Amino acid sequence: MTARVRSALRTLWRLLREWSGDAAYDTYAARVGKGERVSREAFYLDSLRRRYQSGQPNRCC
Amino acid sequence: MNRLLSSLAWLAVAFVGAGALGAIALWRGEPVNGVFFVVGAACTYLVAYRFYSAFLAARVLSLDATRATPAERLDDGRDFVPTNRWVVLGHHFAAIAGPGPLVGPTLAAQFGYLPGTLWLVAGAVLGGGVQDFVILFFSLRRDGRSLGQIARDEVGRRAGFLAMISVLAIMVILLAVVALVVVNALKHSPWGAFTLAMTIPIAMLMGLYMRFWRPGRVMEASAIGFVLILLAVVAGQWVALSPDWAPVFTLTGPALATAVIVYGFAASAVPVWLLLAPRDYLSAFIKVGVVLALAAGIVFVRPTIQMPALTRFVDGSGPVFAGTIFPFCFITIACGAISGFHALISSGTTPKLLTRESDARLVGYGSMLMESFVGVMAMVAACALEPGVYFAINSPAGIVGATAEQAATTISGWGFPLDPATMHQLARSVGEETLLNRTGGAPSLAVGMAHIFSGTIGGERLLGIWYHFAIMFEALFILTVLDAGTRVGRFMVQELLGRVFPRMARTGSWTSTLLASGLIVGAWGYFLYQGVLDPLGGINSLWPLFGIANQILASLALVVATTILLKTGRTRYVWVTLLPMAWLVTVTLTGSWQKVFHENPRIGFLAQASALEQQIADGRVPEAKIADTRRVVFNNRLDAVVTGFLALLILALLLEAALHWYRILAGRGAGALSESPYVRTKWVEGSP
Repeated sequence: MTARVRSALRTLWRLLREWSGDAAYDTYAARVGKGERVSREAFYLDSLRRRYQSGQPNRCC
Repeated sequence: MNRLLSSLAWLAVAFVGAGALGAIALWRGEPVNGVFFVVGAACTYLVAYRFYSAFLAARVLSLDATRATPAERLDDGRDFVPTNRWVVLGHHFAAIAGPGPLVGPTLAAQFGYLPGTLWLVAGAVLGGGVQDFVILFFSLRRDGRSLGQIARDEVGRRAGFLAMISVLAIMVILLAVVALVVVNALKHSPWGAFTLAMTIPIAMLMGLYMRFWRPGRVMEASAIGFVLILLAVVAGQWVALSPDWAPVFTLTGPALATAVIVYGFAASAVPVWLLLAPRDYLSAFIKVGVVLALAAGIVFVRPTIQMPALTRFVDGSGPVFAGTIFPFCFITIACGAISGFHALISSGTTPKLLTRESDARLVGYGSMLMESFVGVMAMVAACALEPGVYFAINSPAGIVGATAEQAATTISGWGFPLDPATMHQLARSVGEETLLNRTGGAPSLAVGMAHIFSGTIGGERLLGIWYHFAIMFEALFILTVLDAGTRVGRFMVQELLGRVFPRMARTGSWTSTLLASGLIVGAWGYFLYQGVLDPLGGINSLWPLFGIANQILASLALVVATTILLKTGRTRYVWVTLLPMAWLVTVTLTGSWQKVFHENPRIGFLAQASALEQQIADGRVPEAKIADTRRVVFNNRLDAVVTGFLALLILALLLEAALHWYRILAGRGAGALSESPYVRTKWVEGSP
């Protein structure tokens, strides 16, 4: 029972990190490998640029 | 056996839902409990999701789980990222749910609780959910292309251009009206103004944290920001009580409007990492948290609904805004029932994240039902107030008077008893000087939410804290919409002007950026300022204008969806988009016509302009007020022109689409379909 609860909490935490964007760099790093990886800071700034400078609304009324 | 049990369970859900909705629709004479709203809405959503969205997915759209999505085919770890469907649902919901589903139902409560609640539930199930789902699906099949691009590819170049113009128009009006909601909520409120002002340095601190100290650590920064925001809410009470600091944060409507305009300009020009992004993260967390807390609070407190099912204002004489139920209830509540703006989000980031086509049902249809549920909760919070208190807060001084005594006399005369002492006591208990004439919906919603929250934690003692927490919650994400919307509007202006002056299209150029920012801020700032000066409170003019613009965008999205259904030979299912589209076109054109030409000066812009001109000509306007009155006359005529322009936009689009539909149905060629070719998903056998 405790193990199940712990597993559910871990899943919830993972989903929360993914939803908030906290895990974005980890996901990216896992995908591209060490070779061409940009720094965490550069990745963060680039993700903001893509999100807010696309000319597409990303927040509704 | 399982099938039988499942059928019985769904029948039970349907009966419980029908029973709850039947109770709120038919019960008269004794108060209804707010839980009936929650149960009725939730059961309807469950049945609609289980059956109607399944029908849309299987029969109308034929979702194909074996087809690779853009996130899989174009996976770059940045824009296109296969993401867990619950995470995408959270992203999409946080993006579509803004102030609209909170403010619209609060304003529409003046008709009574019934019309707005039924429209919220039916509109979302049959209109909003369908629009969001089909546009998300069509964008998914087109590499995540935007609504404007899909309109251009599938209907024609003119449709694409009309889509762009209408998006820009809605953006300007949206930003003006949400800014007006903030101004009306914070004027003469040092506690609220201080709390909101503090969100700026808090967001900047978070921005610095995520930029330099712990790059990209969103959750750490948001936790710090949340604690600081709570401290700011508590500290606001000390500021309001301080004889030195209270005057600094006690601002008039025009002063606050100027501050918001200056802020909007500055925020659109500073780097996103410093202000916009951290505020966005914080507001997303608080938004989701408060919505969940409100749902739990309603179930825990089980508030009694004080507002009648229908009020006398169904005849169009309402003090909050003028106009009859049809069309104005359906324009006032856009977000929460059907909102064209959602089509922009459904064809934006979301389709680039979906792992499977089948996830579009949960994300597109499901998140719209969640937003509708937020609207129903806002309706409960507003209708749980004494109707007299509700009307005293939401009615402009020009209608109910500027003192508690005048308001009590007027509102009691309408059949909603109100004691002036009640208003004084309520204002004192939430730490405000007055709650009278706080048009815009946010303060009355905050009072309703504060009652629900204080009924759960803290009791009357914490009413002031909860009220200002609710105001901060609303204002925080309104400012996020303002920041983000101004920035997007700036890019659109640069793109439009760049067609004529190529140098304007350079987004990296400071001259171009400042000019475009100035144009977009000037446009919404003008409408905001006219709303602040409006003797009828501004909301009466601007909110219907916003509703019309938003529903016109929804009509456009449904026109595009109908065209694609026809082009792909799904003619027998075309009613799923055609019927909501026909309804919206009828509503928006009727609303536009009435807002321009209605003979009642409180409804028709031209009638109000003529009435005011007549007052000047008759010498009934004091000398000192003539210049202001002439400005109101001009603004009314400008509003009439804008409304007429929006109506012409949708008529032009309908004409364009109708010709296209005729060609398809007459077999004269459907035109090419811009769908991406089929690629089999690698995840068809197991999960990623």
